[in-house]
Parts: sequence; structure tokens; C-alpha cells
Amino acid sequence: MATRRGGGRSWLIYGGLGLWATVSSFPFVWMLLSSFMTRGETLRRVFVPEKVQWANYVQAWKEADFGLYFENSVLIAAMQVGGTLLFSLLAAYPLARMEFRGRNAVFACILATLMIPESVTMVPNFLTVTWLHRSSPFAWLNSWPALTVPFLANAFSIFLLRQFLRGLPGELWDAARIDGAGHLRFLFGILLPLCRAPLLTVGMFTFIGSWNALAWPLLVTNTPDWRPISVGLQQFVSEAGAEVHLQMAGAVIATVPVLLIYFLIQKEFTEGISMSGLKG
Amino acid sequence: MKKKVKRAFRAVILPLLAGLLPFTSCGGGDEQVARQGKVDLEGLDPSGQEVVFWYQHTREREDELLRMIEDFNRTNPHGISVRGEYAGKYNDIYNKMIVGLQGGTLPHLVVAYQNQARAYYQEEGIVDLNPFMVSPNWGLDSQSRADFFQPFLKQDNIDGVQTGLPPNRSMEVLYYNIDWLQELGFDSPPATWDQFAEMCRKAKEQPFSKSPDQSRSLGFLLEIDASRLASMVFSRGGDLVDADEREYTLDTPQLRAALGGMMELMEEKAVGIVSEDYGDQKEFSVGQVLFALRSSSGLPFFKSAIEEDGVGFRWSVTHLPSGPAGPVVNVYGASISVCMTAPEGQLAAWLFLKWFTDPAQQARWVRASNYFPVRKSTARELVEYFAENPQYKAAYDLLDYGKSEPAVAGYQQVRRLIQDSMVDIFDGGDVDQVLERLGTAANRSLVEQ
Repeated sequence: MATRRGGGRSWLIYGGLGLWATVSSFPFVWMLLSSFMTRGETLRRVFVPEKVQWANYVQAWKEADFGLYFENSVLIAAMQVGGTLLFSLLAAYPLARMEFRGRNAVFACILATLMIPESVTMVPNFLTVTWLHRSSPFAWLNSWPALTVPFLANAFSIFLLRQFLRGLPGELWDAARIDGAGHLRFLFGILLPLCRAPLLTVGMFTFIGSWNALAWPLLVTNTPDWRPISVGLQQFVSEAGAEVHLQMAGAVIATVPVLLIYFLIQKEFTEGISMSGLKG
Repeated sequence: MKKKVKRAFRAVILPLLAGLLPFTSCGGGDEQVARQGKVDLEGLDPSGQEVVFWYQHTREREDELLRMIEDFNRTNPHGISVRGEYAGKYNDIYNKMIVGLQGGTLPHLVVAYQNQARAYYQEEGIVDLNPFMVSPNWGLDSQSRADFFQPFLKQDNIDGVQTGLPPNRSMEVLYYNIDWLQELGFDSPPATWDQFAEMCRKAKEQPFSKSPDQSRSLGFLLEIDASRLASMVFSRGGDLVDADEREYTLDTPQLRAALGGMMELMEEKAVGIVSEDYGDQKEFSVGQVLFALRSSSGLPFFKSAIEEDGVGFRWSVTHLPSGPAGPVVNVYGASISVCMTAPEGQLAAWLFLKWFTDPAQQARWVRASNYFPVRKSTARELVEYFAENPQYKAAYDLLDYGKSEPAVAGYQQVRRLIQDSMVDIFDGGDVDQVLERLGTAANRSLVEQ
């Protein structure tokens, strides 16, 4: 009897979750289906295309020069992810494992930057990059440094990694010191392999942020040479008319890499979030 | 604890602020910047100048614009080289200009709406074009100046300062389904707002015979947008600002009538609100909506949506129903401003602008963009185009009834306020309170500029 009641509750829970999953995934399904429609079908608002229009993808890819934008986005995201992981880890480590005066104040200052919206930091960041562009022997504007360097560390990543590092047992450091390890060797030789989940989480967040960025890349670039895929996607948003089928094909092209990466690291991503105390 | 905080402040924040100081004063740009009026325009040599042009066009329009730029670069006698750069949508360009003004990274030419240009001019980011226009060596002769549609030129003239030169214009037009109107027993579009309401009510009761979804039938879909409201207010003889553009007038009988009329029809389910980008265009093209109020620049999109992908019917465009003073249409469009760069760069930029507004180039640009030309004589070169595009011709003939939205700095923010107020009102908010709040906020923004 108890089992039957439990089974009924399970069905209810799974049913509710299934419904929630269906509702959540609806926009994605709609995007996917619309990307295969003719323009007429999008106008008539049919739900399923009569015949799959693969040509939309070809047209979207060619018209928005997605090849170049895609390559740029991959390069920019790779640099941002690599840099963020390195610098955030180097910043999080002393805040979590080393005792020094003002540690909490420094951490508080870093955390305080989380409260500042991106639109507020945009002008100072731009001024800094412009100044560096003029002062450096190499170009910053219209090139990868302006697109990556300002984002090579961020408060959220530092916070997330610090929370994880603080939770590791202190005996690890004692043992490493007995073996003659310094801080850097301890960090990269011993802690790094243990940080797989939070590092992948930070990497995922950074990747998504970089992949979706639009306002900053438009500010610091003037030519397509280093512009990311979001700019390519914007080109389908016309000022005079709708071409939903092409927009959606472009959106699918832009979304696939994020989804692929998420599916690949889904387990570690969830683990990283839960271990850093961000769940719920 | 307090001591700790103070120590942290001294140790971290102060050095940070000190480090940022050099950046805050680094404006100026790579080029020597000169204020207008101090430059001897006639003695300048624009030879070999490189001109950067920021625009918002993409795809077919951008392709044609780049081809035109290429032609200018090849044919101009001064060896001026223009480089066109897509800089995002209008708002992106505005942001880029605002930070560019701080960082000294301005282009030579920039697309800007009048209110944006005014803001740039106040920040000394663009120059007055009057001296260029009347320059004996480089300017436009009196005949060419007179050839411009004067209201278009006037749109960019703020307190005597010519902040830009219009390369093209569009207007808000009423798209209507001729076949459906005939099915409803009407042989012409609405001349008055009462007729408009009657047609909408009938459209709700009697769906279009070719509509694939007979369960959805509406007279009109209103987009929550300041330009749509402005068009309706203009058509009733009202305005959003007073004659001197010193005060917003957002609680006029015309504005109340425009909102009230729509609310009434919405309550009767004869009019709806656009809930997705270009939703009205889509539903119009499949015969589910009788009227659509949109920019004339959307004509080719409507044409292909109706004739190639929609249900196929006869359609045309006209002005909104008129008030006692006759038809008024909302004419708008971004202009091109010359940025505050080195004098030779300014002159080279002007020469391109002058070339671009030449009737021959205008005709070419019209064919590619479907915008309206800004020079009257362009019409002579568009005879075939008019014949091929009767709806474009119908809209072109409305140019004489043009009126523009306020060209005051900060209008962009007020547009957002207007849109929020439209939502509040259509959502059942108290009209008096909402309009009072809107008027106060809008006029406060004027004072702040």
C-alpha cells in the first residue's frame, strides 16, 4: 500500500518535472523547427515544417559570413576561458589558503565589483583599452587584446574558486610542505587536479559570456576581422522586416557549440555549482 | 573594524583611483581636432584623406553602399578613400559614439538620428555643416540646395546648426488589404478615424476569404512604439512637443483621442497589440489583419511576404486617417553627420556626403534600399522604378504631408517612457495619472539635457 502511494507520488513528481521540462524546452524546439521552415510557414505560424529546409542554414551561413565570425568566437572564447581560469585561480588561491593582512578587505573589494553593472564599467574599460591601444607597440582596438584582456579575471570566478579551495583539508598543504613544495607547486601540482569541477564550471560560464557578448565587441571593433558570431546573428535583425526562418537558423548555428560543451561537462558543471554553495 | 576598513581603503581603493586618473583625461583622438569656424575651409586640401564611415546597414543595403563607396573612391579627383564600417544598430552606434567621444575614437562620418546628433553636437563630437554647404569651393550651389526637400534639411537644423545631411528618409504609412476592404464593402481606405474604427470592427466580424486561419481576424495590430503613437497624434493634428520644442506636450486632446480610440477597439477585440517582432507584418501578409502601420522602408518586405510567401492579395499604402487640417505623415530617418576630426578629414567626409546626395547616386541608393530620396530631381531618374513599384510611388506622393518627431536631445529616453506609458494605459492603468507621470518625467529629461 505504502509502495503504491510512493509510486503514485513518484509519477506525480516525474509528471510535474516532465511538464516543466516541456515548457522550458519549448522556445528551443520552436527555434529549431522555425529554422527548418519556409518564410511562408513562419508567416502562417505553422508549428511543424512541411518539408525540412536545410537551405536556410546554408543561406544564413553565407549571408552573415558565419564562417569568419564562428572562427573569431572560438578564438576569443578560448583565450577568455584560458585566461580566466589561470588568473582567477591565481587570485582565488591566496584568498582561500594564505593568511595575510587585509585578505578579507581585498576579497570584499573584489566581491563589491559584482554589484557594478556591465554598462557602468564599459566606459572606463573602453578608455583603458583606448589608452593601451595608443601606448602599446601592438594594436588593442580591432584586435583580440581588447576583446579578451578586460575579461581575463572576474569576481564571480574568483569567488567560486575561493569557496571551493577553502573547503579542501589543510593537511594537504602540510603534507606538501613536508615534501618541499612551495605555493605554486602546491597549487598547480596538487590542488589543480582536485579543482576539475569548479574549473569546468568557471570555464563554462566564461565561455557562455564570451560567446553571447555583443555590446563590447561592437564597441572595440570596426571591421569583421575579429567580430564574434553574435554580430553575425545581429545582421538578421532587419530594421524593416522579419526573416524569422533565417534568424532562427543563425540562432541554432550560434547555440550549438554552447549546448555541445554543456552536454560534455554537464556532470562536472552541476558538481561545481553545488560544491561552491551556489545551489538553490 | 573601522580602522581595518580605512586601512583597506587606503591600501586598495586610493591607488586604484590614482591609477585611473590618467585614463580619464585621455580624450582627443589620434587626429588634430579643430572647432568649426576657426578653419579656413577654402584653403584646405582634402587630397589623400582616409574617411571612416559608421553605418547601420546590413546585407543587400550594405552590399550596395559598399559598391557605391568603391565607386566614389575610384572616381573622386582628390584621391579620398572612404572606408565603410558596420557599427551595429542605431543604439549601438550611439553607444559607440558616446564612448568614442570620451576616448577620442570618432569616425569621420556617422549615421545619427536628429536627437542623437544634437547630443553629439552638445558634446562637440560633430560639426555644423552650414559652412561646408555654402562654401564656394566645396559646397552646394543654390540650385542644389533648393533641390533638397526642405523639411528634410530642416529636420537636421537645430537652432541654426546643420547637424547632418539626410541621405534618405522613410515615413509611417498605413498598409491596407484592398481585396479584404472590398469584401467588407469599402472601396477606399479610411479617410477618418471613425471610418477606420468601423472597418476594424467589420474586419473582426468578417475574416478575409483567403486567410488560412478564419478564427483570427483583426482590424489592426498596434505596436507599442513611440513612432506609432506619434503618427496617430500627428494625423489628428497634434504634436509631442510645443512649437519651440521647449516642452513636451504629452497630455493633449489628440494624444488622448489616439490612445482612447485604440483602447475602445481593443476592448471590442477589433484591434490587438503586436506581441512579437514584426508580428503585424506577418499577420497582414496572411490576411489576418486588415491594416498595419509601419515604416515605408518595409515595403519590399511586405511585398515579398504577401506576394511570394503570404496568401497573395492586392494591397497598397496610404496616410493615416486625417484630422481637420488634412493628412499628416510621420517622416523620419537618420542623417549623416560629419565628426569633429582634423579639418582635412572633415572636408573629405563632406565631399563624400555631397556626392552621396547627388541625384544620380540618390536614385541608385533608392533602388537598393527602397528609402525615399532627399533631392526632388531624383524623381526624374526614378520613372521606371515608380512604375515597377506602385506602392512605393503611392508613399512617395505623401512626402508633401511630412512632419517629424522631436529633434531634442534625450528624446531616445522619452521614447522609452512613452512606450512604458502605452503599456501601462493598455494594461488598464489610470490614463490621467500615467500621462501626468509621463509629462513630468519627459520634461524633466529636457531640463537635464
